[in-house]
Order: sequence, then C-alpha cells, then structure tokens
Amino acid sequence: MATKKEEKQFEKERKAANKARYKKMKKEGLEKYLTPEQIRYNKNQKLVGMVWPIFRFFILFGLSFVILYPLIFMFSTAFRPSDQMSDPSIIWIPKTFTLSNIKDTWDVMRYDSTILNTIRLNLISSCLQVLTCSITGYGFARFKFKGKNLLFAIVILMIIVPPQITTIPLFMQYRYLFPLDLFGVQTDQGLIDSSLTMYLPALFANGIKAGLFIFIFRQFFRGLPKELEDAAYLDGCGPLKTYIKVMVPNAKSSFLTVFLFSIVWYWNDFYVSSSFFINNSENQTVALALKNLDKNLENQLFQNQSVSIRMIIVWLESGCILAIAPLLVMYIFLQRYFIEGVERSGLVG
Amino acid sequence: MSKTKTAGTKPPKQKGLKIPYERRKALYGYGFIALWAIGSIYFFIIPLIKSLIYSLYETKVAEGGLQLTKFGLHNYVDAFRHDQNYSKALVSMLQHTALTTPLILIFSIFIAVILNQKFKGRTFARAVFFLPVIIATGPVISIINGNMSTGGYAGGSEQFSTMFETNLVDQLLNYLGIMNISDSLSEIINTLTTDIFNLVWNSGIQILLFLSALQNIPFSAKEAAQMEGATAWEYFWKITIPYISPMILASLVYTIVDSFVDPSNEVMEIVLRKSSQEWQHGYSAAMAWAYFAIIGIVLAIVVAIVNKFVYYEVD
Repeated sequence: MATKKEEKQFEKERKAANKARYKKMKKEGLEKYLTPEQIRYNKNQKLVGMVWPIFRFFILFGLSFVILYPLIFMFSTAFRPSDQMSDPSIIWIPKTFTLSNIKDTWDVMRYDSTILNTIRLNLISSCLQVLTCSITGYGFARFKFKGKNLLFAIVILMIIVPPQITTIPLFMQYRYLFPLDLFGVQTDQGLIDSSLTMYLPALFANGIKAGLFIFIFRQFFRGLPKELEDAAYLDGCGPLKTYIKVMVPNAKSSFLTVFLFSIVWYWNDFYVSSSFFINNSENQTVALALKNLDKNLENQLFQNQSVSIRMIIVWLESGCILAIAPLLVMYIFLQRYFIEGVERSGLVG
Repeated sequence: MSKTKTAGTKPPKQKGLKIPYERRKALYGYGFIALWAIGSIYFFIIPLIKSLIYSLYETKVAEGGLQLTKFGLHNYVDAFRHDQNYSKALVSMLQHTALTTPLILIFSIFIAVILNQKFKGRTFARAVFFLPVIIATGPVISIINGNMSTGGYAGGSEQFSTMFETNLVDQLLNYLGIMNISDSLSEIINTLTTDIFNLVWNSGIQILLFLSALQNIPFSAKEAAQMEGATAWEYFWKITIPYISPMILASLVYTIVDSFVDPSNEVMEIVLRKSSQEWQHGYSAAMAWAYFAIIGIVLAIVVAIVNKFVYYEVD
C-alpha cells in the first residue's frame, strides 16, 4: 500500500501527464482525437471549474458569517463597559476594554466551583455512558437472542420519546427512592439535588441521548468483520474477553466520537439537570448557572429591580463566553475527531 | 465419572459445554444488554407507563407522591376542546415543522456537497459549519436567539436584524408582480430568507451526516460517471442522491424529532408550564402524550413514504 504522501505524489504526476497530453492534442488539433460532444463537454467543465469556486467562496463566506456572527457579537460585547452599549458610534470595537463584566459574571455564576462541578459530573457521566452504551450496542450487534427486535424497538423509542414525558415520574422516583419507599424508607429529599441523578442513568446506559449512542455503537460493531471475533473465539477468548481485547481497540474512533458528543450534550444539558437539581444549589452546572443568570444578575447587581435585556446584555454575553469557552477550546483542538469520527464510526449504512 | 473410562471413547467434556453453542451465545447476548435492560426498565419504561397513568387522572401533589382522582379521558378531551392555546400551538408547530424540515434537508445536502469538494480552507469551513453542533443544544443558543429576536432592543444586534429582516425578497417578489401567484411559494422563500439564522444553526448535525454519507460513495461510481460524461447536475441526481438516500431518511427523522422535542417550541412550552408552574401534572402528561402520539403518526407516515425511495446498495 502506498502511503498518503506517495498517493498525493501519484495524483500530481497523473494530473501533470494528463495536462501534457491534452496540450499535445490541442497542438495537433482536437478534432482528430475527440468528437464534437466531447469537446463541448470539456469546455463546459472548464468553464464550471472557473466560475464555481467564486460562487462557492461567496456562499461559504456569507453563511460562515451568519454562524460566526453571534460569537463575534459575544466577544465584542463581553469586554465592553455597559454604558458603551447604547453608544451609537460603537458597532463592533468598543472604545475601552474591560474585564469587569467577566469578573462580575464570574462571581454571580460562582464560576470556579461551578465549572469544577460541571467537569466532574460531565467526565464521570460521559465515561460511564460510553462504556455501558458500547457494551449494549455490542450485545445488539453481534448476538442473536429471543426478543431482540422488541428490545431494540425500545432503544428506538428512547431516541424518539422526548425526555419531558418521563421527567415527572422520574422525579417522583428519585424523590421517594422508588423501590425502597414500598418498604417504608423515607428521606428528606431522596436523590434530588445529588449527582447520582446523573451518574445512575449513565451507569445503566440510560443517560442523556443514550438511545442514540447505543444505536451508533450497534451500527459500528455490525460493520466490523465477523472474522475478527471468530479468530478470537478460536484462540479461546470468551465473549467478554473478545469484546475487551478485540472489539474495543478496533472501535477506538467510534468511542472517541461518542465520548465527545456525550461531553457536549452533558455540558449543554439544562433540562434534565434543572429538573433534578435545586436552583442555585452546590451542584449546579454551567448550563444551569447560565440559564438562571439573568435572575441572579437582577438579584445581585441590580438589587432585585427588574431590568431589560438591554441593560444586562454585557453580563449575559460574558456568561455565554464563560459557558462555552471550555467547549470551544476542546472543539478547536479535537475538531478533527468530531468530523472524522462520524465518518468512520459507521453511522452510514 | 472416572477420567480413564471416557478418555478412550469420547473427548473429555469441559465445564459448561452442555448448553448448545447457539443458546450459550444467546445467553451472552442477554448478559451484554442486561445492564441497559435493567436500567431502561427503571429509568425509562416505568416512568413512561406512570406518565401514561397520570394522564388519565386528575392529579394533586401530596405527601408521598401524587394523589390520583377521577379516572378517565377528560384530560385529553380538555386539552383539545377547552384549551385555547394547545390545539393552536399544535397546528402552528406542525406547519412550522412541515416548512422547515425540507428546507433544512436541502440546505444541508447543498452545504455537505460543497464541503466535500476540495478547496483551500476546507478544514476551516468545516469547523465553522459544525460549530452549531456544539453550541446549539445548550442554553447559549436561547440567549443568542434572544439577541436576534429582540432585535432593536438588544443593542448591537440591530445591523444583523436589519440585514435579515428587511424582507428584500418580499419586495423583490412584489416588484416582479409574482407575489400573488403563489402564496405558499413566497412563504417558503420568506422563511428561507428571514429565518436563515435558524436554518443554518439547526442543520449542523445533518451536514455532518450527509458529509459522512458523501465520503462513502465509492470511487468507482464517480469514475464511471466521469467516463460516461455526466455533468455535475446529472452526477448529483443519478449518483449522489441515491447513495446518500439512506442518510436522507435518517436526517429526516432526526430533524423532525429534533424540532418536536426542542424545549423552546410552543407546545413543549405549554406542556412544561402546566407541570412546573401550575402543578397540573396529569393534564401536562396528557398533553405530552397526545403530542407524542401525533409525532409518532407523522414520523410513521413520513418514514413509510420516504422509505420507498431509499436506495440500499446491499440488498
């Protein structure tokens, strides 16, 4: 097998040869070699090849602007003093820069403790989730058993049913420690406001978007050649050992993709965490802090006066920056894996 | 059983081999999914059934759980016949989804085809277009959206809103005099132009899916098309679309589900308000279930129709 570099070299040489041949053909008169249709086709292709990149540039540039606009706006507002927000002479670049917005927001969000808590919650849940979802996905991909289709239908149902339907009964289960309350166990608030409400579902492959992850893993494992397993079985591995020693190393890229997406979804989740965590508790996540930011700002910076968005926008935007900064940093470094991972993870087919 | 007797006639039996191979594998299969199965009973099935039960009762919050009274379908009847907002929100939600889903799909196929071509700065362009994937699911998007929709009040975003909300297309259509020919067409064009922000921000995952499908088109198909002298247009319809059609189905389902379960859509807002602020859990559950049933029906119809046109290479 030629390496990538060599392949590139071949491609280059092939193109150069083609060009040289075409030049030679042109010299001797194209009509000798090609039919009129072919000549027209080539001309059209050449024209498209010249015009299209310009179009493409404009389309991509315009749409990139639409996507990047809120981010640029965020950075432009977060560092400008609040009174310069209503200055009509300022559009993008403020006259003076200030870090006080960030500092105020930092205090209101209790950012240092919040972010540590979020990272802890996030990493533990994502790791558990990836682990258990991959095991389940493998079970669905490679074993035949009764009721498999029915069980897989539940996985599909998990993807489709919105979490809003199950939240309230789940809340009751956590609050009264469901199977235990039948035996007379009573607690103050049960599992509510404890990180276990995140860890436990993740441990049992039922965390946020778990259905989707099981589905991805199943598709991926189905795409791996069966011979891999047969070889492992012949060498005397049991299924579990085969899974750990043979399948997992082969599924690395898929694991990484699911792990990254899991981190993103846990990081951004505010619905599930807002249902099971008490507002402003020690356990709050960054997303939750951001969700409550406007109320907390009113409380702490404006002495409970109600304020319009216009007045607190600088703090809101700095809150946004604080909330997505870790994700953005991660994305910049691992962007490759987000994109390539999905391509390789066998989501297709 | 003595060792010496069996050794001559049969190979020595190993422990556990009594269960036939197939059965044993099946058992291992159950083992692999056991964790999930237990979990989904507790975290998914029971809550699901419970909420279905709630939806049939009048609920009252009491010590030790919910007090259930008055069994019957009255919650569902109320939702559709007495609630002023619910059916209205439902209809507008369906309309909105029917309008934006095809737009998102077409748009993301288009972008994916572009991002699949070779050009300078492709990595950067891809990075930018997938950025919504990591941001759009979080609360940040609602603040961003707030900036956009409050337009004039939110300070610096005026330029943006004027850029996308002046309805230049509307005026152009009026000017050309074709505004009145087809209202639905102009509505689609209007959605496309005024809502381009939401369109772009909601199609990150779909672009990702289509891009991965595009890269799986075998090179031989490309080569054959070139040999036959296919134009880019023909290539797109005869090669690209059939090959990515399974992904079209997948992203269609994803888009519909995504737009239905988005906590910021109208119906979801009503459902959540009823349960979290007005404490009418039973009523809220009934609304959610009716809503979910409608999603199910819509999805089933769409999948059944689209599935006819999907091309699977391995058959």
